[in-house]
Formats: sequence, structure tokens, C-alpha cells
Amino acid sequence: MFDRDEDVLDRVIDQLRQPVEMDPTLDTAVMTRVAAGGERLGRLAAVWDWAWRPREISVSPLAGLGLAAAVVGIVVWLAGRNPQVASPAAGPNTVQFVVVAPGAASVSLVGDFNDWDGGATPMQAAKSGALWSVTVPLTPGRYRYAFLVNGSRWLADPAAPRVQDDYDAPSSVVTVGG
Amino acid sequence: MTSDAEIVRRVREGDTAAFAVLVARYRDRLGRYAVHMLGDRSDAEEALQDAFVRAYRSLARCREDGQFGPWLFGILVNRCRTAGRRAARRHRMFVRDEVSLERASAPETSDRAEWDDTVRWAMERLAPPLREAFLLKHVEDMEYEEMSRLTGTGVSALKMRVMRAREQLRALLTEVERV
Repeated sequence: MFDRDEDVLDRVIDQLRQPVEMDPTLDTAVMTRVAAGGERLGRLAAVWDWAWRPREISVSPLAGLGLAAAVVGIVVWLAGRNPQVASPAAGPNTVQFVVVAPGAASVSLVGDFNDWDGGATPMQAAKSGALWSVTVPLTPGRYRYAFLVNGSRWLADPAAPRVQDDYDAPSSVVTVGG
Repeated sequence: MTSDAEIVRRVREGDTAAFAVLVARYRDRLGRYAVHMLGDRSDAEEALQDAFVRAYRSLARCREDGQFGPWLFGILVNRCRTAGRRAARRHRMFVRDEVSLERASAPETSDRAEWDDTVRWAMERLAPPLREAFLLKHVEDMEYEEMSRLTGTGVSALKMRVMRAREQLRALLTEVERV
């Protein structure tokens, strides 16, 4: 298989030097964590700006598959709220859900709060067509939710705690403080 | 292309979103080291995420703006050490990642996929300090002095680790050849 010992090491090194493509959605995960780290309002705005900024994305077939399958979801609370637990307040809290879904024709929010009805809470696309959002009032409690892309693709929110539902489809959990 | 130094300056001045440029710029470059060091893509992504977030939070400690890349690499090396210890406790089974699977599915690339697996198998058998030194020297192409600054290990110890890694890899792969 190998002519000389050095050939073996040269081949190993050549192999290890090949470029490695990481999942581009890692960028969103990092920026979401950065935004959650403090100075919430300012950093939230920064992430929002970042999400809107036009950019060129080079995607390999494999990465494209991953990207299409795992369109990035981000739940963003309105100002003053922790990303996963809303601040205590009397009455419903207003929660904004945001998902980045480039190329989607439609996106809906489904969850415990709307009986998982795909037609109940359509999300609105921003001008870029990539960012979809909707704001819903939620009374204190724990809710499972997911995004429904193009009426059929079930998408959990990678930025939120995840659970398996009765049909083995992943969904996310949001807790609204009371 | 905007320089690292300029972007670091903007982030320090409050333009948090500019940090995304650095993440995109270094994602794949650092990802390669993390994947090879940890042998698992999801562990590598987690370590890489942690490294970026820690870099952001301690950006004030990056003394020279133009040295952001090497400084970030040092943080990643530490995160990989921590992740590696955690992974070792889990006794994770060796599983091909998606890239290997895709290559393996194409008959004309089956030799390549087999070689991928062989290299990964051999790298996993190196002790982490040897794997770290080998990757920094031969894959990241660093000088020993730079490796020493990055790892906090003396130059002579690093040279010894690289030499031992080379010997062990050679022995492992010769063993494969005989099977």
C-alpha cells in the first residue's frame, strides 16, 4: 500500500489539510449566544441588523442539504425579556418568534398555544424574504412550539430547548414566567 | 476585505454585529482543527461555538487587534482540551461523520472514504497532547515557538510530542497495511 514510511505520513498530512466545511448555521448560533450574554437590547438590535445584512453565502451540496433541512430558527423576546424565560408580569406576555428561512414560500408558527394549527399563526416575511416573524400574546406557562415551513417541513428551534413529541418530530419549548 | 484589526475595533466600539464577520471568516479554518482534534463533528461545532463566544466576551484581552486569529486559535485549543476530556469520559463510539458517509456512498470514492476512516482511526489513537502537537505542526503549519506560546508547553517538549506522534502514526498505519 505504501512505498516508504514517509509517504504514509505525507498522505496523512495531505488528508488532514483538506478544507473542512462547518455548518454555516453555526454563525447564527454564535451570534444568538453573543446577543444573550448581556446588554440585551443593544445586542438584540445588533443580531437583528446582522440577520438583515445582505451577504454572499457559498454552500456546498452537503451544506446546502443541511441548511435546507435545518433552516435556522431563533426565538427573540421583545426588549426586557430573557431569551428563554419571560419576566414576570400580570396578564399575557408578548413574545416575538423569529425564524430565518431563506427561500420559504410560507412559514407558520404552531404550538400548544394554537392547537398546532398550521393556519392559525402565519408568520410575516421581512423585505429580504429570509426573515419571518410573528408576535403572539402568551399567558404564563410552558409551551411546545415549532415552525412549519411551506406547509409541510417541521422545524424545531435550535436556539431553544428541544423535546420529542408523540410523533417523534422535534419541537421546542418556551417558558413564559408568571 | 476589511482587516481583522478594523473589525475588532468596531466590535469593541459597540458594533456587536460586526463580530459575525469574524465568525464567518474563521469558522472553517478553525473548524478543521477542532474536527481533527476531537474526531467528532458535533463536539467540534460545540467547541468552536464556545471559542467564538469566549473570544467575544474577552475581546478586551486581545492585546493586539491584528493578532486576533492566533489569539482565537489559542482559545479554541483550550476549548478542545476541555471538550476532549469530556468526550473521553463519555467513551463515545467512533462514527463516521456526514462527509465520510457521503463520500462512501459514491463507488468511485470508496478508496478515499476508506483512507479518511483510516486516518481518523489512527488520529484517535494518539494521546491528545501528541495529536494536538502533530496537528499544530504539520496541519496548521506553525513554528515551534508559536506552538509554545499557544499551548504553554516548552519547545523541546513539543518537538518530542511531534516526533512521538509521527512514530506512532507510522506504526499504526503500517499495522493497517499488514491487515
